[in-house]
Formats: sequence, structure tokens, C-alpha cells
Amino acid sequence: MSTDLRAIGRVRPPRGGSIRRGLGKTTVWMIISIGIVIALVPFVWMVSGSFRSEADLFGNPASLFPTSWTLHGYTAIWQQLPFLRLLLNTLIFAGGTTVLLLLFDSMCAYALARLKFRGSKLLFWLVIATLMVPIQVTLIPVFIELFHFGWLDTYQGLIIPRATSAFGIFLLRQSFISIPRELDEAARIDGAGHLRIYARIILPLSKPALATLAVLHFMTLWNDLLWPLIVTSSPDMRTLPAGLTLFGGQHVTDHAVLLAGATISLLPLALAFFLAQRFFVQGVATTGLK
Amino acid sequence: MRKIPVLVAGGLVAAIALTGCSSATPASSGPVKLSMWTGFTGGDRPAYEALISDFNASHKNIQVTMDVQPWDTIAQKLPAAWATGQGPDLATPNFDPNVISKYLETNSLLPLEATGNGATDINLDKLAPSAIKAFTAKGKLYAVPANIATLQLYYNKKTFAAASITDAPKTVTEFQEDAKKLTSGGNYGLALADHETIQMWPVLQWLDGADIVDTKGCAVIDSAKSVSSLTTWANLVTKDKVAPVGKTGAEADSLFSAGKAAMEINGPWAAAGFKSAGVDFGVAAIPAGVNGTVTLASTVPLAIGKSTKHPKEAQEFLAWYTGKSAQTKFALASGFPPVRTDLGADAQLSGNAIVSSFAAALPTARLYLPGVTGATQVDSEVYVPFIGQITRGEDVAKAATEAAKKIDAITGCRG
Amino acid sequence: MTSTEVTPAARASRSRGRGDGFRLLGIRLQPAWFFIAPSVLIILVFIVYPITQSLWYSLFNWQIGATNQEWVGVGNYVKLFHDELFWNALRVTATFAVVSVASQLVVGYLLATALAEDTWINRVTRSIFFFPTIVALTTIGLVWRFLLDPDIGLVGGILHTIGAEPIDFLQNTSLALPSVIFVSVWKNLGFTMVLLLAGLKAVPAYLYEAARIDGANARQLTWHVTIPTIRPTILFTTLILTINSLQVFDLVYVMTGGGPLFSTDTLVTQLFREGFQNFHIGYASAIAWVLFALIMIIAAFQLRLFRYNDVD
Repeated sequence: MSTDLRAIGRVRPPRGGSIRRGLGKTTVWMIISIGIVIALVPFVWMVSGSFRSEADLFGNPASLFPTSWTLHGYTAIWQQLPFLRLLLNTLIFAGGTTVLLLLFDSMCAYALARLKFRGSKLLFWLVIATLMVPIQVTLIPVFIELFHFGWLDTYQGLIIPRATSAFGIFLLRQSFISIPRELDEAARIDGAGHLRIYARIILPLSKPALATLAVLHFMTLWNDLLWPLIVTSSPDMRTLPAGLTLFGGQHVTDHAVLLAGATISLLPLALAFFLAQRFFVQGVATTGLK
Repeated sequence: MRKIPVLVAGGLVAAIALTGCSSATPASSGPVKLSMWTGFTGGDRPAYEALISDFNASHKNIQVTMDVQPWDTIAQKLPAAWATGQGPDLATPNFDPNVISKYLETNSLLPLEATGNGATDINLDKLAPSAIKAFTAKGKLYAVPANIATLQLYYNKKTFAAASITDAPKTVTEFQEDAKKLTSGGNYGLALADHETIQMWPVLQWLDGADIVDTKGCAVIDSAKSVSSLTTWANLVTKDKVAPVGKTGAEADSLFSAGKAAMEINGPWAAAGFKSAGVDFGVAAIPAGVNGTVTLASTVPLAIGKSTKHPKEAQEFLAWYTGKSAQTKFALASGFPPVRTDLGADAQLSGNAIVSSFAAALPTARLYLPGVTGATQVDSEVYVPFIGQITRGEDVAKAATEAAKKIDAITGCRG
Repeated sequence: MTSTEVTPAARASRSRGRGDGFRLLGIRLQPAWFFIAPSVLIILVFIVYPITQSLWYSLFNWQIGATNQEWVGVGNYVKLFHDELFWNALRVTATFAVVSVASQLVVGYLLATALAEDTWINRVTRSIFFFPTIVALTTIGLVWRFLLDPDIGLVGGILHTIGAEPIDFLQNTSLALPSVIFVSVWKNLGFTMVLLLAGLKAVPAYLYEAARIDGANARQLTWHVTIPTIRPTILFTTLILTINSLQVFDLVYVMTGGGPLFSTDTLVTQLFREGFQNFHIGYASAIAWVLFALIMIIAAFQLRLFRYNDVD
């Protein structure tokens, strides 16, 4: 950690690694263009499919665009789902959890990065270990716990169990330890306590890492299907992706509705992504994940 | 620099919002409230929702709320919910009728005793016998059929005309020959699905008088009759390419919708989709086999949780649900045959070609692996992979012997 | 960059005295306890306790809610050892993890270096590659499954149009796993790229200058400067990707359900089938613990391999 802080995140890597020079810029960009097409085509197909009739979709498989348009997928969703309520629930769930998660994770990461205490190593390994537990394993015990707490079908049942993440603690700890300790010490000489150092030095300096974490988790939570379905048992508490499962039938699948649902639940995220992409496509660059 | 206050404030707001929304449990006066979990997502859902709202409108003292969720979700939480005594009053635990035995093992189901002949009783004698048999254990009834469906043969009239075939096949031989004739240039004679579907292959076996498991739970899939039947069909798939390999039910449906398959064995639910895809199709009985007509029936159990606080009202609901007027209305709305056997003479129903066609098949329809221990596992770990093997060219006799061994290990057959 | 900002704020607090401890009922609490309390509580209640419970289940022929559980000791583990489907799932999971992590790292690294400079076109391209990351796995599975369908899918349709034979990607036992791996790489590539990019950007310029003065060529720069310097990033990325891919479920479940003929059946899809379809909770818990142990061992090995402790 002897590197001058100013050197971090400010420098350009060397002009061109071996790869770029070896293949030549044109070749690289040709490959990248193919990659771009592969990255985008599924979404174009998805959005266009949400406007296509069954007959068109199956009849012209090679076509990426509708030959005839139908809004039936969207009207079905609008008429059959309490759409705004689902949207609100998703916002409360994804937003509330993200806020709490940032707070709790950063506190825990601060302790791990800056405080000497008994069991810190144990805690660190505990955090790493919890990364490795697949959710399917704990599903039944957690469900029974939530029942005993009386938290089933409530917002706190949705939010609290998800309000910390090993990934977040791990990532923030990495970020915090890259902040020079001299800064804390200076503050400490000025009489600042841990709470103050955490709030006034560490957090502000970790804004990009926090933003990255916020976006990543918000996305994950927004898209989460299994968890909201397990915790909630009334249509009024469902989140948007969970509510949209109503349209995938056991026997019958209406593709226009399914794809319209996928498009609708992606739309807010896509919007958030384009507004916040500065933060994480570039912002990650300064998470201190060095 | 104000990150922390903002975060804390956000957290507090969230916490207040949480507590504010959680404590709203009304006092227990007024109508009895029954909760019900079902897995009827997709196109069938509106028909069930209409039933529930009819019931609520006509029963001021009982109000049923149905929560529709994917079958997987029900499988994940219903066992724990019922076992801890807090699940819904009513539920369809699975689309597989054999699931009843699993819930009986954990003592989660309420035996239904409000049976009889009255209009407010569950009319046991009038409900589809195959379903009732599957839902009865040790002389007690534990569920009523939430629906029952049979499989029939859908055929594409245009493709049939193009191949100069005038009628749907009447015998197995015609069936196989038509399938070959209708197969050409990337189009299949028959859309067969082998996984994530209602099983179609057992029907083919039954037509030749073969079966998967006998009544004692022992595998007979490797009998000479079964092997010869399966060999014929496997050859039709691998050599004559009359059917695609490895399709899910939805994919097979799409093939038929796209006009790329001339026939499909499917249930009543498929009709609406085929219609909206613009297919000119007919529905015919499954061709007659060596033992006459036979087809597959599927039924979804609707059961009451043992821990319900309102066993009387819940049974009243079931009695109404399986009653004449509800079933007539449901059949017309969904295209499913009614779960009752005494509605055959109903003018409205017999006037509906689709409903009456599927209802006509009920008397000779059989359930898939009824009463077999570990039926779900036999299906997912043995039968589905077995069909996958033989349609990919593996030797039928050898694969069948292997499959039989695995089935016996699961069912515990000691024959 | 910050000292001028920090000092006034810190100074303002001087009068409050040292915040180096909190008093509760006269007991002096360690400040660390305060900071770790929320996370630790949640982890203990909602992860550690449930997973130890599942260890307990795995020693029984567990039935949810039954009053008498049948004790089988290590019986479930013994059964697992003789279960060919388990070995198959282990093999599939390992293949999935190794191939998808390796391809993501290599392709992600190449992309990150190619798009490292902050020009507008690079930024747009990065965003495009990152986009699949924000989409729900179930949506991705649904869409790709449809695209890859040989009869009614886009890829099949295009192949048909150009006169080629359609390929049954997801129905063919030898193509299904590669297809699922491809989609998984497609989905996560952007994430990997962005993480690696963060590492690349943090490599101090003077290291390159020094190496160049010593006459290093581009290849040497990559192998002797870039990669050693971003080792912690590579470790972090590898670790996260490995853990995630060993737990792969949603994508497989939606795209193939583990089929055809178990060719894509991973440990978690097997666990799901045993636990939630066959209701063998004890057996499913045993699978979970084997998976958990496996991930622990691999993670510990990776941490050691990359000499994780150097980072501190």
C-alpha cells in the first residue's frame, strides 16, 4: 500500500497490450463487432417478439422483426396484473434492501478493514464461507424461521434476510483497505472516533465502490424470482418478476405475453443502467479493487 | 459528505414502512376467510378465477382468496407451510396426483368427510373414478379433482389434405402410416414431447397393450410386448423421423402451432393457443389400440390442509366446486371436461365440440403411474431419460432392462 | 485529494471526545461489535443457522414436519457416493465451472485490454457488453432457448434460410452443455470485463515506464507487469466466478431442466430435484453439504494459490 493515492485510478494502461498489436486494430474491432451483435440480438428479438403474434413468431423464425404487430401481450399484462402495486413492491424490496445492505456491509467491512478485534479472522472466513451457500439449501429452514418470526408475506421478511451480502462485505473491505491509513490517523489525532472516521472519511472515499455495489445488488434483487415467491403469499405483496410468473403456464405458453413481461421488467433496469452506467462501467474502475 | 445521515434516514424510513405494513391483521369477525394456493398459471387461470369469484359472490359467509403461483414455488414451500401448521386452508399441492401420498406421509392433509348425495355434499359417486381412486388412501378421501383432462389427437386439416388423407387415423396402423406420410421436408407427422410435458409416450405403449408398471408397482417396461411396441415407435422416430427428439411440451405445441407437425397428442388446454396461431385443426379420439380405446388422463388434486381452522367451510367450498353448476360453467370456460360423470346429458356441454370430445374419452382414460411409490422420481429419473435414450437410437431391449431395474429399486418391488 | 476535506470535519468533532468505545449499562463495548453487529446477526440467523440445520437434516431420512425422523447417520452420504447421477452432476458442474470461468477470464481480459482507453466508443461498447448482466437469468434462459430451437428459433431459421441443416443445440446430449456454458459466458462476460478493467486501470503508470526503459516488449509487459500487478483483482474475479458457477441453477433449469439425459444436470439441479420434487430432504441436504465442502476447498485452494494474504 505504498503507492501514492493519486496514482490509483488515474493512469492509463500501456497503449495496446500484446494482443491488440498482434492482431491489428481492424481485426480486433471486427471481432468486437460480432460480439456486439451477439450481445444485442437476443434483446432485439425479445422486444420484437413481444409484439408478434404466435402465427408470425412460429411462421417466420428467421425474421428478427414482426411482420404483423400485436399489443396483446402488453394489454394482457396491464389488465390482469396489479401492475403499479407490483412495481411499487419491487421498488420497496430492491431499493430498501439495497439501502440497508450498503449500510450494514460497509459497517462490517469497516470493522474488518480497520479495527483490530478478537475473532476478526474468524469473521472474515465466515463471510467468505457464506458466499458459498446456495440459496436452495437454506430455503426450507429460512422459510420456517420467517414463519416463527411472523415475517412471511411482509416487507421485513422480504428485506431483512437479504440485507447483508458476503460479496458486498468482501468487495468493500478490499476497497477500504486501499484507502491510506494516514488519513484515519490524521483524523484520529483531531479527536475523531470510529463512527466519524467511517462516516466522514471511509465512505466518501469509497463512493464508486458503494455505487457499484448498489447497482449490482439492485439489479440482482430486482430480478430475483425465487425469494419473493417464497416469502410472499398474497398477490399484493408480489414483486414484478414474481407476478409475471403467472403468465407462464404448465401446459400453455403465450409467448407474446411472456416476452412482453420480460421487456416490461427489464425496462426500468435498462433505464437505470443507462443513467448510472457511468458509475459502474467506469466507476468500478476506481473501486480500489486493485 | 452526508452519506451516513442519508443512509440512516433511508434505513429508518424503510423500517417504519415495514412495521407499518405488517401489523394489519383484522379481527376474526365477519365472513370466514379461506386461503387457497394453486399452480394454475397461464391460460387456464381466468377460468379458475371466475369460479372463485362466483363462489364468493354466492357465499357471503365464506370468502376464498386464491393465490396463483408457479408449481415449483408450491413444491418448495407448501410442505414446510403445512407441516408447521400455517399453510393455506386449501391447495393444489402439485399437478401430479401421486403427490398426495407425499403429503400423507407428513400427515398434512385433512380427510374429507362431508361426502354424500346432497347438493352441499361432495358427491363422491359422481366424480371421475380414476381421480377419486388416486386421492383415496386407506379408505379415506384426501382430495377432490381440481380439474381432469384427457388427451386427444389434434390434427392439422390443411396438412392432412395436402397429403390426401381425408380423416384422422382410426387404428394404430393407420396412425403410424399417416405419421410417415405426413413427414416430409423438415415437417413432422407427429409432435412428440418427452420432458416437461404431460406424458404422451405411455399412450403409445398402452395402444399396444403394453405398460410401464403393473398394479403391484413392479416394472413391466421390459416385457416382450412393451419392448416390441417401443421399438416400433422408436424406429419411427429415429429412422423415419416422424417426430422430433428431445422436445418439451411447449416446444411440441409450438411445432403444431407453426404447422410443422401434422398431429399432436394433447389436452384441452392447447385448443385456444392453436386457434390463435391460426391453425385449422380437428380434434379426434386417439386411434383404437389392441384393447380398444385408451388415453391418458391427468388430474390435479385439490386438498385441505390438516391445520385449517375452518374444515367445515373448506369442505363446503369443495362440494360447491365439484358441484353441477360450477363444473358446467368451468368446462365451458376452460374446455376441460367436467370432473363429474353425470353431466354428459347437459345440453350446453354436449353442444361444445371440444369439451364433449375430451369428456367422451374420460371413461377409458388412465392416469400415468397411478399409486406408484416414488412416481415423480420414476418419471424424472427413469422414464424421461429412457424415452430420451430410445429416441436417440439406443437399443430398446437393453435400455428397457436397465430402466426396469431402476424402477423396481425406486418402487421397492420385490417381484 | 482529500486531506483538506477531511480535516475540518474531523476537527469539528473534537469536542465530543474519543469515540473509541460505547458504553452500555456501564459495560465498555468494543467498537467493532457495533460495526459488525447487523451483518453478523443476519448472517448467523439466516445463513449459518439454516445451513447447520441442513447438516442435521442430512443425517436423517428427513420428512418435513414428521414427529419421528429416521436417523440414517452418514447413510445419505454413503448413498450419494454410490449414486451415478451424483457423479454425473459433479462432472457436469466441474466442467461447467472450469470452462465458463476460464473463458470468462480470458475473453474478459482481452476485452478489458481492448476497451481500456476511455474513448466514447469504448465506453459505449463496454456498456453493450455489460448489458446482459442486468437481465434476469430466467429471461435470458427463455430467450436463448427460443433462439436456439432448431425448428422455430432464429438461429435455426437463419441456418434453414442459408440452406444449412438446423442444429439441435439443446436437444443434443453433446451440444447441450456447451450451449448452456456459452449463454452463461455471454451473460457474465461484461461483469468480468468490468472487474478486470478496474484492476487494469489501477496499475501505476510508472511500472510500465520502468519496464519499458528496461526494454520489455508488449508480451513481457502483459506477463511481467500487468498480470502480477492485478493479481488480487484476478483472484477476486476468479473466486466470485467460481463460486457462482459451482452453484449454477437458474439458467440450466430454464434452458434444459438438466437434460437431455442428464447431460446438463448440475449439483444444484440435482439437489433441487431431490429436495423439492422427490421430497428427499435429507438426501438433498447431503448433496448441499458436499457442494458446500467442495466450494470451500476450491476457494481455500484459490486463495492460497494467489497468496491472498499479500493483499493486506
